[in-house]
Amino acid sequence: MTWTRSKGRVGLLVLAMLTLVLSLAACGGGDDDGGDEGAADGVITINWGAEPPSLDPGLATDTTSSNVILNIMDPLVKLEGEELTPTPSLAESWDVEGATVTFHLRDDGQWTNGDPVTAEDFEWSWKRTISPELAADYAYQFFGIKGAAEYNGCEENCDALRDQVAVEAVDDLTLRVELTSDQPWFIQQAAHHSFLAVHRPTVEQFGEKWTEAGNIVTNGPFQLARWEHNANLDLVKWADWRNADDVALERINGRMITEGTTAVQAFEAGEVDEVGALGGLPPEELPRLKGLPEYEQTPSLGTYYYGINTENIPDVNQRRAMSLAIDRRTIIDNIAQADQLPATGFTPSGMPGYDTITPSSEWLPESGDIERAKELMEQVQNPVTDVTLVINDAPGHRDIAVAVQSMWAELGIETEIQQQEWAQFLESLGPPPARSTDAYRLGWIGDFVDAINFLELWTCDSGNNNTNWCNEEYDSLVEQARGTADEGERFDLYSQLEEVMFGPDGEVPIMPIYFYTNVSLQRESIKETYNQNLLDQIDLSEVVEE
Amino acid sequence: MTALVVRRLIWTIPVILLVIFLTFVLMRQIEGNPFRTSERAIPESIQRNLEEKYGLDRPWYVQYAKYVRGVFTGDLGPSLVLRNRDVNDIVREHFPVSLQLGGLAMLFALVVGIPLGMLSALRANTWFDYGAMFVSSVGFAIPSFLVATLLIYYFALQWGEYFPFPTSGWEGWESKVLPSIALGLGPMAYFARLTRGSMLETLQQDYIRTARAKGLRWRRVVVVHTLRNSLIPVVTAAGPILGFLITGSFIIEQIFAIPGIGRYYVTAVTGRDYSVVMGLTVLLALIVIVANLVVDILYGFLDPRTRDARA
Amino acid sequence: MATPAPRTASGEGTLPLEPGLAGPEAGAAIQQSNLWKDAWYRYVRNRAAVVAGAVFLLMLAYCIFWPLISPYDPNEVDFSQARQNPSLEHPLGTDSFGRDLLTRTALGGRISIGIGFAATLVILAIGVAYGATSGFIGGKLDNAMMRVLDALYGLPYLPFAIITLAVIGDAGFWSLVIALSIASWLTTARIVRGQTITLKENDYVRAAKVVGARWQRVLVRHLLPNMLGILVIAVFLELPGVILGEAFLSFIGLGIGPPDASWGSMAQEGYRVYRVFPLLIVIPSVAIATLILCANFIADGLRDALDPRTRET
Repeated sequence: MTWTRSKGRVGLLVLAMLTLVLSLAACGGGDDDGGDEGAADGVITINWGAEPPSLDPGLATDTTSSNVILNIMDPLVKLEGEELTPTPSLAESWDVEGATVTFHLRDDGQWTNGDPVTAEDFEWSWKRTISPELAADYAYQFFGIKGAAEYNGCEENCDALRDQVAVEAVDDLTLRVELTSDQPWFIQQAAHHSFLAVHRPTVEQFGEKWTEAGNIVTNGPFQLARWEHNANLDLVKWADWRNADDVALERINGRMITEGTTAVQAFEAGEVDEVGALGGLPPEELPRLKGLPEYEQTPSLGTYYYGINTENIPDVNQRRAMSLAIDRRTIIDNIAQADQLPATGFTPSGMPGYDTITPSSEWLPESGDIERAKELMEQVQNPVTDVTLVINDAPGHRDIAVAVQSMWAELGIETEIQQQEWAQFLESLGPPPARSTDAYRLGWIGDFVDAINFLELWTCDSGNNNTNWCNEEYDSLVEQARGTADEGERFDLYSQLEEVMFGPDGEVPIMPIYFYTNVSLQRESIKETYNQNLLDQIDLSEVVEE
Repeated sequence: MTALVVRRLIWTIPVILLVIFLTFVLMRQIEGNPFRTSERAIPESIQRNLEEKYGLDRPWYVQYAKYVRGVFTGDLGPSLVLRNRDVNDIVREHFPVSLQLGGLAMLFALVVGIPLGMLSALRANTWFDYGAMFVSSVGFAIPSFLVATLLIYYFALQWGEYFPFPTSGWEGWESKVLPSIALGLGPMAYFARLTRGSMLETLQQDYIRTARAKGLRWRRVVVVHTLRNSLIPVVTAAGPILGFLITGSFIIEQIFAIPGIGRYYVTAVTGRDYSVVMGLTVLLALIVIVANLVVDILYGFLDPRTRDARA
Repeated sequence: MATPAPRTASGEGTLPLEPGLAGPEAGAAIQQSNLWKDAWYRYVRNRAAVVAGAVFLLMLAYCIFWPLISPYDPNEVDFSQARQNPSLEHPLGTDSFGRDLLTRTALGGRISIGIGFAATLVILAIGVAYGATSGFIGGKLDNAMMRVLDALYGLPYLPFAIITLAVIGDAGFWSLVIALSIASWLTTARIVRGQTITLKENDYVRAAKVVGARWQRVLVRHLLPNMLGILVIAVFLELPGVILGEAFLSFIGLGIGPPDASWGSMAQEGYRVYRVFPLLIVIPSVAIATLILCANFIADGLRDALDPRTRET
């Protein structure tokens, strides 16, 4: 009989299968022991919210990477206090004469391998970031320096152009920079992580892998202790940092939980001491979380807005009507739910000079003004009643779009919400935006603390102007602002810029909805000192466990 | 037998080429810029630099050839989005995690499902049978995201004091239990029903009745004759299921914050990280092929009739 | 009794259909009516299958007809009514936007079940065409086609669905149908091929060939009707997989866009609020589970009904 021949075989077979599966289960995914968990004796566990795409200051572009880097490296300048004023960090002082800025470095800056930090490090690092070979996304931050844009865009004879970039280490502790014009915000910009120095021998030795935990050499208050990609990133205090005595935390264990619900659960189970500062909290849970003593909310320099393709919706009255119809208060209270501030202009609250700059625009009423919107709509000659609203597929944006859809419906506008995946969404933004896009959703988060960073987006040739809107008066005002050193005068110019967009004769090419806030849950033992500034940065060297 | 194996192994090569080609073509069709990760636009000059650095400005056949060569020499290229990492690194660090997760889920499915099915068959049409089949059907039907949510909510949060399971992560054996169950529940139910059905059918065969008539002890009959034959369909199904577990676990990985391949895959496709997508697809295809091959070999080993039919 | 057919490698078992129990004629027409009537009687005796069938039909009716008579506009946003528990006015409660859940679940069902059936039909169409041709013609073509099939087996199902969706661009109804069917027709093709090969050897087919009937006629008049049984079962076997696939894709955000919803995208919405309002994730999940359970029992019932040898003692 055929069956008996396979008598032993099935048994063998099942055994084989079980062995295979068991070995699969046993091997792989090593159980490393990380640091201790739980807030105890200077050890805390936080959530980075995502895997940092890169810890190379020249290549990092996102908030998570930026936060890690700024805690393991020493910037020339740090932004402190509510106003985010530039304070000396690695640079103990600086002189500004017109378009020339000179930084004087401290003499006790050190790399973790013992090498001193010199001005040459900065010169080499900045030129590296500007170089075309590195292809750094943020090279454009340096374009305010003479010769930088040319070097970055060079096709041949690059070495010569490199020498012409006006960054020079005059001596070990002096760094001189020549800018293309007077840029009063340059010192502030120098606090950005792209302006950090990297350790040349390490980069040259390890190439692209120099940021791995075993290879990296840093010069800041913490060191990279462990980096398991997509799982954990731990920092440990560096005892030889120049101000090590002032640093209270011994170790920071970092998780990378991207799913908001999972992060909140981890916090509630006591596995993490902080969640949300990077990555946010799910808006739907906020009503429940707001009541907790661990809840923390701080303003953030960012604006959430809907942009309009002005070629598709050319009538300014329609745009004004659409903006009037948006009930910002309802959106904030029911969807975003993080006590965001309803937008009154494009520059967000918290920006220096905000009170002067903001137009308190009549086109951006807090609870919408549907009556006036309808009136205006009637004045429109050829109203566009079929609007395609393009959003990317994150849940929060979808919800807001649905709400706005119903608000515009009252004006007789039928809105089709086109939900696209991220990369596709970016493609359809352009610029110039895809012809089928009538409206889209976007947000802008500040790079540094000056309103020019927001307002220069809307110049005719700005790479971030996705509206097809071009206004010469606006452009010339921006030019003027760029060359004005006096703060008061600049704020005035900024306010004029806002008026062009949102004043009584404003063209309303975009419809700001709210200004961002940061929300997080923090264990009460660290809540006092775990602070996130307007630029979403957390200075871990200041955190103290009570 | 060896001829079969050798033939199948040789066929793996054109299959892989086909997979690479399809993925390559598909990825090129999608619009999207891998270098633009945020809403900030990238200045032209920088975009050009990036394309040059990664060879994206060369004609497509050059890129394709280069890539194929890379696959066969073991170099899957750099990631376009994670600028300091190679696809090889990503695979090396994350694939074992997915493998382990899939393996554990499979273990759970087999160890619980097969005995359950067996017992149900032996006690066919009793309350035990109905109960077991109902429970397993429900386990099969409820989407795994709900199962995962319930497991976390009850075992890690509400009753967290009694159980050592964390709500997320992949460190230490405690964190591996809930995700494995969540992922393995469906296959477990499937195996249970499969075993039951197959066993019932075998039990009706003449030779079983003969054995009983001969007076052999029931247990011996069950174990020696019935069980082995009933497991054949289970074995058949196991291969593709294992392949599916490893390649389709991204929701569980997302919910439990497990650093596996699945999460990376979805992120890479949405971020247009071409090299990662291609590398991972090739890898996943290899897994599926190997799993199927192993099963087919074992199956041919087992059931001589199919060997002849397929020759 | 007919000789047992060899099992195919990936199916759960084939269904050798024996020639009609009544009468010596081997013509296809008479065979069919006997077969179906017999099957119907056997099906009805299986209680679970009957209940499942009834529930299934009820769900279909609900999804199709309820939105037509519901007093609520499924897209009307009214935050004052958000997240209400079930009540007389809203038997299933409301969602985060204050929309009636009974209505939205029905609409979600239209999309989920719609995609399920559409994708299953596409899978069947491709699978039958491929498998029947390969099995029937046999020989070298069969070999080649099976080799290609083996090659395609290497395509991981869900990842390819994701890529396909990204290629097509906008994730609408038909893009999901295509994405879900593109890698899942393979098993059906194999089963159909296996069945075709078995049937090919049956006497009445050989008789038809001897008589000189053209192969198309044989295929259409003799083989396909006998496979109808398997095909119907295959529909109910593939349906759960497709529906779950759609749910998964929607859950990770690649599915239907607003304001339409499928059960999967509703579940995703629900997942984010489950701590505050668990109903939102439970309802679509239960709907999906019910559908899958019914489909399974119906498939079981059909299989038992059409193959008298697998009666349960």
